[in-house]
Amino acid sequence: MRPSSEGKSRGVVIEIGGIPIALETSDPGFVKLLKDRYCDYMKAGDRSDFKFRIELIAPEGIDPDADARVWLENGDWQFERGDFRANWNQEKRRGLIRQSANPYAIDSVLRIVHTLLLARTGGFLLHASSAVRNGKAFLFSGLSEAGKTTMARLAPPDVHLLTDEVSYVRRLDDQYLACGTPFAGELGEPGENISAPIAAIYLLEKAPCNKIDPIDTAQAVRRLLRNILFFAHDEELVRLVFESACAIVAAVPVYQFSFFPDQRVWDLIG
Amino acid sequence: MMPSTETYLSKSTAIAARVLGDETIIMSTVDSTIFMLNPTGTVIWLSADGQTPLSRIIEEKVCAEFDVPVEQATADAQDFVSKLAEHGILVVSDRPLSPKEV
Amino acid sequence: MSLLDEMNQKASAQGIPLTAHLDITWRCNERCVHCYLDHDGEGEMSTAEIKDVLTQLADSGTFFLSISGGEPLLRRDCFEILEYARKLGFNVKLKTNAVMIGATQAARLRQLGIEQVQISVYSHLPEVHDAITKLPGSLRRTLEAIGHLTAAGVKVSITNMLMKQNATNAKAVMQLAKDMGVAFTVDPTITPMLNGDRSITQLSISAEELEEIFHTEELVGNVGEFCAPVSEADDDFLEGHSCSAGHTLAYISPFGDVYPCVSFPMPCGNVREKTFREIWYHSDELTELRAVKIKDLPTCSKCSHGSYCSRCPGLAYMEGNMRGPSSADCAKSEARTGIPSAWQTIQRQTQPNWTYPNLVQIKPM
Repeated sequence: MRPSSEGKSRGVVIEIGGIPIALETSDPGFVKLLKDRYCDYMKAGDRSDFKFRIELIAPEGIDPDADARVWLENGDWQFERGDFRANWNQEKRRGLIRQSANPYAIDSVLRIVHTLLLARTGGFLLHASSAVRNGKAFLFSGLSEAGKTTMARLAPPDVHLLTDEVSYVRRLDDQYLACGTPFAGELGEPGENISAPIAAIYLLEKAPCNKIDPIDTAQAVRRLLRNILFFAHDEELVRLVFESACAIVAAVPVYQFSFFPDQRVWDLIG
Repeated sequence: MMPSTETYLSKSTAIAARVLGDETIIMSTVDSTIFMLNPTGTVIWLSADGQTPLSRIIEEKVCAEFDVPVEQATADAQDFVSKLAEHGILVVSDRPLSPKEV
Repeated sequence: MSLLDEMNQKASAQGIPLTAHLDITWRCNERCVHCYLDHDGEGEMSTAEIKDVLTQLADSGTFFLSISGGEPLLRRDCFEILEYARKLGFNVKLKTNAVMIGATQAARLRQLGIEQVQISVYSHLPEVHDAITKLPGSLRRTLEAIGHLTAAGVKVSITNMLMKQNATNAKAVMQLAKDMGVAFTVDPTITPMLNGDRSITQLSISAEELEEIFHTEELVGNVGEFCAPVSEADDDFLEGHSCSAGHTLAYISPFGDVYPCVSFPMPCGNVREKTFREIWYHSDELTELRAVKIKDLPTCSKCSHGSYCSRCPGLAYMEGNMRGPSSADCAKSEARTGIPSAWQTIQRQTQPNWTYPNLVQIKPM
């Protein structure tokens, strides 16, 4: 796929958690890639809350799993990782992304933007799988190898998966909603584009048998904070994320979930 | 097209290839046909950089290394290049080729 | 002799690792019940390390390269690795469960000139296939991916690994492959886990089912030929080796360990500590392996199955002795011909209650 800096701009609008973001590029091959990748999250029409122009550049032998850096510079957010460089003026609602033609860069940019947007309204992205059962959402949180994907894989047919990797938590008035995201983990599939009120958050640990235990508030906040996606070391943002963690723990039950990875685990959920 | 001696050769990108000793194995990624090049063929193959004309490859590489008369080397080389070009293994042009053009 | 045979012979004579199998990750989005891997992702080689290994393999003369896993597409740099491999002139095969392959990925694989994509399909029935992969919806996704690949002009081969759960589905999967216009192979051998755990071999199909498979014309071709009784072992055979593992075939794990073959997890060195060439040409383990000829195998050299046996020295190694028999291959020889192998005869005569030996603990370097 050759980078193209000429030609008519075209794009897609991707709506996650009710926030539509337009991505524009003059490379038709890349538009097709975006449409394929985010097909369940595409919004018809071109109305969006925010707009990014994408310029494709040749890849430079980078590490796509490296951490992204995010910082504020003269009123613009700057995002950088080996495979992309982006800036975003939140007030003007516009930004520019320079990246190689790989979908993981766009995933990262979208996650960063949503993290920054959600922070101001009490929401966040969380390293967790989440699913909807009987109209209620359940989050299964943990870092690498904790069992997030395992919970998603073991889910019976009546469960609707929102994500097996990065959960989207949105605060609306006093309610917390989990929304589906296209950010696929190892299962390689986007989540269903639905949302539901969060009934419980489970902090995962693999064990010889299944057990759900309450945990105290301080521990819940501390462990949640470890799993919240956070990119920018900005004082105000840190404070907002901390308050969001405290607020959700006060509103939504959080449990320690020691589980044995077989299908019976879902007998305890919902 | 029968290559003249002012012909430029470039290796196709639709191949897999490996030099083993003084021979080369090539496989087309289009139809999986395999070719084994003998030492003379390997010398021509290695020189197919898109910039060196076939006449120079014959004179400076083939004749010099294998002590073969130019006329014979030229006829053999042209036949060899034609066959590989027919199978899409070599790209043949009457002017120098850059990698992008291949 | 075909050109391929000629190449293999020349490579063998020169000790060239003509074929390499590189697992770029052991992580997987499926959890197949028969899988021999533990799916650990900690400490995988980086993109730069893998590219360096590929360069070293190219310099060593490797031509045929299989990229596999785990699920290789779980690595975000998978296409970057494939592109680099193609630039180095490898003939590249990709082994994948294909659940992450859509039209875009299929087009890219075509553009890169990947020789073939090999995909496991366990059954034509979603409930059977998905129960084996433990990924709901995986058959649907895999078959959709095969459609994308064939539409893009990529060659596909379906492998049907047989086990208790799907033993009766082989013909139907073969028909499915035919309907989709792709190649098909059947494989009845469950490999023990690389860490020495043999419990998954209990999933193997029974001797009766194996015999039935070997006598099914649609699967094996001419049954009379395939199941022909044994030949006398000639000198050429006895002076040869069981297979190309460690001779013209090398395997490299996601952590840089070099084995003779993925089914022969004898650690020979690690490319993070030594160059591939150093390991390939100078490791004690490979030197010892290469010295072993069929005539040096105490039991197999005297077996009447001779050159018809598919003896895997890796499976023998995992049973405790790389010079010993591979009981799975003995079972196959007996199922094919009705004649027990030399090892089976000894076992039945001397140890009627024989069970598998202690687990061989295989520690990566």
